[in-house]
Amino acid sequence: MEVKSRMRRTASVAMVALLGLGLAACSAGEADTDLNPDEVSGEISLLTPIFEGSPGQDLLEDELLPQFYEEYPNVTVNVDYTTYGNLNEKLTTAVVSGLVPDVMLMGVGWIEAFADKGVLADLGELGLSEDTLKESYTDEIVEAGMWDGNVYAVPIMLDTRFGVARMDILKEAGYDSPPSSWEELIEIAEATTVRSSNGSLERAGFDMMSLDARQAFETILFSAGGELFNDDATAPAFNSDEGVAALGLMADLVNKYEVEDIGFTSTDDIVNPLINGRAAMGIAHNNLWTQALEADETVLDNLEPFVIQGEASGMFFGGTLATVANNSKNPEAARALLEFLSSPDAALAANEQRGNVPALTELLDSDYVQSNRFVQFAMENLDVAQREGGPSQWLEVRGDFAPAVQGALLGQKTPQEALDDLAALVQTAIDR
Amino acid sequence: MTLPTIKALAISEQVTVVPRKRWFHHAKGRQAALINVALILGSITMLVPFLWMVLTSLKSPAELAQFPPTFFPQEWMFSNYAATLDAAPFGLYFRNSFVIATTHTLITVVLGSMAGYALARIYFKGREAIFLAFIAMLMIPTYTKIVPQFLLVKFMPLFGGNDILGQGGSGWLDTWWALIIPGGLSASAIFLFRQFYLSLPKDLEEAARIDGLGEFRIFAQIYTPLIKPAIATVGLLTFQESWNNFLWPLLVTTSSDLRVIQVGLAVFQQLDNTQWQYLMAGTTMATVPMVVLFIFAQKYFIQGFTNAGIK
Amino acid sequence: MTTTERHPIRSAEAAAKQGSPSTAPKKRKRISTAEKKRRRAGWLMITPSVIHVGLWTLIPVIATFYLSFTDYGIFEAPKWIWFDNYVEMFNDAVFMQSIGNTIWYTFWTVPVSMAVAVVVAVLLNQGLKLQKFYRTAFFLPQVTATVAIAMVWLWIFNPQYGLLNAMLETIGIPGQAWLVDPQWALPSVILVGAWQGIGIKMLIYIAALQNIDESLYEAASLDGASSIRKFFSITVPMLKPATFFVFIISIIGAFQVFDQIYVLTDGGPANVTTMMTYEVYRSAFQEFRMGMASAQSVVLFAFLLFVTLISRRVTKEED
Repeated sequence: MEVKSRMRRTASVAMVALLGLGLAACSAGEADTDLNPDEVSGEISLLTPIFEGSPGQDLLEDELLPQFYEEYPNVTVNVDYTTYGNLNEKLTTAVVSGLVPDVMLMGVGWIEAFADKGVLADLGELGLSEDTLKESYTDEIVEAGMWDGNVYAVPIMLDTRFGVARMDILKEAGYDSPPSSWEELIEIAEATTVRSSNGSLERAGFDMMSLDARQAFETILFSAGGELFNDDATAPAFNSDEGVAALGLMADLVNKYEVEDIGFTSTDDIVNPLINGRAAMGIAHNNLWTQALEADETVLDNLEPFVIQGEASGMFFGGTLATVANNSKNPEAARALLEFLSSPDAALAANEQRGNVPALTELLDSDYVQSNRFVQFAMENLDVAQREGGPSQWLEVRGDFAPAVQGALLGQKTPQEALDDLAALVQTAIDR
Repeated sequence: MTLPTIKALAISEQVTVVPRKRWFHHAKGRQAALINVALILGSITMLVPFLWMVLTSLKSPAELAQFPPTFFPQEWMFSNYAATLDAAPFGLYFRNSFVIATTHTLITVVLGSMAGYALARIYFKGREAIFLAFIAMLMIPTYTKIVPQFLLVKFMPLFGGNDILGQGGSGWLDTWWALIIPGGLSASAIFLFRQFYLSLPKDLEEAARIDGLGEFRIFAQIYTPLIKPAIATVGLLTFQESWNNFLWPLLVTTSSDLRVIQVGLAVFQQLDNTQWQYLMAGTTMATVPMVVLFIFAQKYFIQGFTNAGIK
Repeated sequence: MTTTERHPIRSAEAAAKQGSPSTAPKKRKRISTAEKKRRRAGWLMITPSVIHVGLWTLIPVIATFYLSFTDYGIFEAPKWIWFDNYVEMFNDAVFMQSIGNTIWYTFWTVPVSMAVAVVVAVLLNQGLKLQKFYRTAFFLPQVTATVAIAMVWLWIFNPQYGLLNAMLETIGIPGQAWLVDPQWALPSVILVGAWQGIGIKMLIYIAALQNIDESLYEAASLDGASSIRKFFSITVPMLKPATFFVFIISIIGAFQVFDQIYVLTDGGPANVTTMMTYEVYRSAFQEFRMGMASAQSVVLFAFLLFVTLISRRVTKEED
């Protein structure tokens, strides 16, 4: 079974190689739902927030799609490029007008709403089951594409967030390894914070301001062993003791231990403070590696990734998944494209272009992953990574997290109050 | 008076005021110096952000990472501009933006000036209501109007495979129509034209009417030449708005052949990673045509009319 | 020199009045054929615009009013719910805060940038040597895409190395964490708004100044009026139609401020800079609640209509 599954995943690679030899039927034996490439035909549209710009477009249209066309000569793909910043506007107008693209790439957290409202096709009906996917991906990642027990999306790439330490700074302060608990994190952060004589911050011990306040909170929440929602996603769980402890830690780091000031860095800063030594530790995105490679290669050796360790392991993942429209006129062609885009070759190329983390477990061994220490680290720890989302109203409520977290960091509310107020807001949305 | 006389009158006045006595020139030299200093300070306030943008566009990623940031680039990376142009088909995007902005400007100036003239200088029933309705149309934010507008484009009858009821196809989506027609005219341009036609004196109009000139000729030959500054203003603002438009062209097109320059710039702002040097280089390049246009348009900011001689 | 028979300033005011639109012919029983032709021409001239605006703006506006009474989550057809959106909105502390922020933002940006713009426009209409350069400089913020400009302001406001704090510290004033301090975030956003709004207003004023009769100034000079006096007695009244436009358009623009908030603060910290349009955007495209976004837009519309009608009353522009 495992062999078969691997075969499936590598089918497209094999296909390209073998097509010329007339062995195109090699995939026919996999499952009865599988497609006969020659019989699949039609014009389909693809909406993608990745593959943007000339390099992305060249990769997709000059390298990947020709491979796809070789396999499925009777299918035509029209690509509609957008960015994540405007994906929602594109999706909204698509849904409202009924012109939903056949294949849509969207983010973790989007699936719940779009699956719940019947926009997305149940991929189980197209032959992709939870069990087969779980052979190729970690469970949590497969679940990111599921709603109500059914599979609606297949992951392509992941955006992960975890702790990063500047080992040169830590060693100077007498620490040989990144923190392995909250207590150590506080201790090292305090020891590495530098303030000038007039008290203004010169180096943050632990930076949480250069990423979205919601995602920072979620990463710490996961490390506290907390959850965003209860098991059936009908009620918020982030205002539990773990949640309050997590937000309490963030507030304390700012107000009590003073290892970072609000506004010291921001999500819009040109450069991450870990690269130029304005922070000793912080929560960072895996593309920090690529950024450092561009800005200052010498710093790479000093950047050490770590999972934030509290009661549990805190690592966050979001990402891009491929879905098929429920009302697609050519569901077979759409499914073929979805499988192609999530196949090892195509997914690896897409990830490499953006410096992101491939979702497929088998790609851990690829040259790209082995050459990028952050991506490698992320993949090695995917078993502890958790995602955001849960109820179908997630997109509705996620924007309310940042103001609540900011309110607590600014001392306007206690962590408990801030999270309770937020939970009330979220519960109202779920019940609506 | 005949038409040629009236025109000559208007033109001669433009000519005769050439040795203009600006009231300000009576001010003392020291006052003038003070004003120049104030204006220079003001200009610097306006220019510094722009300068910072240009300088940022010429820095290397390594330099951008430095702390504290440098003001002038240590190494002038002019190659950033070449790299920017390679990151998206900017030539095509530039052409598309130019075509769209030019057409928008033409439609707005022609239709907007006519409407503004009618609202300002011709009395007819319902004029007041129409004028207020035009202003009211500006009061609903873009983000609310954009979905209904998208639907209008999609259900445009008899286009893009649609039947007479607008069903079945994609209407104007992914066509030049969608890029050009809906944004072709804005109520604010009509409003501005109206205000400018209002500020012109009645004398010419009455003289022209006595001579039996038709309303369209009064509009086109007597009054409109006198509001060149307003035409230049509306033209500039329309062009600029159209040039910087991003969301609408992105929504109504799907093929990259129809994308515009601002969509190209969005490439540099990826989730969790903005390539500032390229974004700034691209924005600088996108701004230059507007600056050139502005400098060019300034020659229309001349005294349009004086009524000194008409009594 | 005191009042003369033909006071130049009074004649300036008379001239300003002259510019008012042609009013209805005084209650004549019969409209002449010429007058009928004129009206027909008027209708012909305005019809293309009425059709265009009617189709592309009026229909969406009507849709907005209709949707404001519905629950419309884009995935299913709108469901009529009467005033539920409005009730929820007025119980929503964040939206209430956004109304306050928007009014505060408008209150500061509009008068400040209008005053600066009119003074700059007058100064830049004197034929100064560097006039073209100055005009271009002041117009530049208007033409540059907001995203790039906002990034520059992030640099200026940066608490550690920002230009603003550096300048303040040289004169002994302690710096602030401008955009993230709840006390300073809104004033900072207002500053950017005023700065960016000057260019377009200046341009319109410069254009309007070209229509002022030079002889009015000359007559006033002969009469010994000071520059300041001439500014207030001639320039300001003669700019009335332009000012009405600038005022209304600026109020509408300020009430709909979005880009700066989107790039500078995202409405933060803790919602202190959120604005009505930002909430509309969030409702529509982050929460997919078109009905709510429409209801919020209708409230925005009501505010703007109120201000416009009041200002029209006050200026009594149509006599």
